[in-house]
Amino acid sequence: MKKRYWRCFVCNDIHYGVAPPELCPTCKVLNAYVEITAEEARKILGGGPDTAFAPVDFRQAIERFAAGNEFMLNPDRDKVETLLRGIFENEKNHGFKYCPCRLRTKDWNEDLKLVCPCNFTIHETYRGVKEGECWCGLFVRRK
Amino acid sequence: MARLLMFHGKECPHCKKMMPVVEKLEQETGVHFEKHEVWHDEKNADLMRSYKPVITPRCGGQLRVPTFLNAETNDVICGEVEYDKLKAWAEKK
Repeated sequence: MKKRYWRCFVCNDIHYGVAPPELCPTCKVLNAYVEITAEEARKILGGGPDTAFAPVDFRQAIERFAAGNEFMLNPDRDKVETLLRGIFENEKNHGFKYCPCRLRTKDWNEDLKLVCPCNFTIHETYRGVKEGECWCGLFVRRK
Repeated sequence: MARLLMFHGKECPHCKKMMPVVEKLEQETGVHFEKHEVWHDEKNADLMRSYKPVITPRCGGQLRVPTFLNAETNDVICGEVEYDKLKAWAEKK
């Protein structure tokens, strides 16, 4: 299924997916999304505010992300610090926050699967494992 | 002696943990691992990618680090492994 770009005609939220959200998560208007081109989407997003993350901001973001899930950030602080260093090195050198424990293949779609947080819940190191964790160990199953 | 390769990442905690295990194995048995850091050295990364068909079926379909590869037999082991398991793997003919 091919993903496309959608714009909320009320608040200009941008959505990238096979279908638009029924309800705009920002302005709460129903059926507000209209399909736009990639170029238009880039222009709108490019004019947005600079939201560059320092490692501390990213850490807070993934903590909030984990809070609503069955996993949490690894309590081993040293491990987390090492991983965050790697994630930010990868962003600086290779453009995305790639997992430091896997190598990108140079295939765009394949490599998007390595951007942290990745969908580790389907990996054999997590799925069905009592003390499961993502491959790099940044996220661990909540006890 | 077999040509053994270790692919690792500078900021990978599993690799960090395995490094002293590998060094102990080298000292105690005389085996040698060619160590290739793949996130900061594109040549090493390309070398690992060249073994993708060999590595990925044994490593969850991905190019994970650490990965240990016997370049002669194409035998692969990846992730954190106990000393004895790595020793048995490295000495396997």
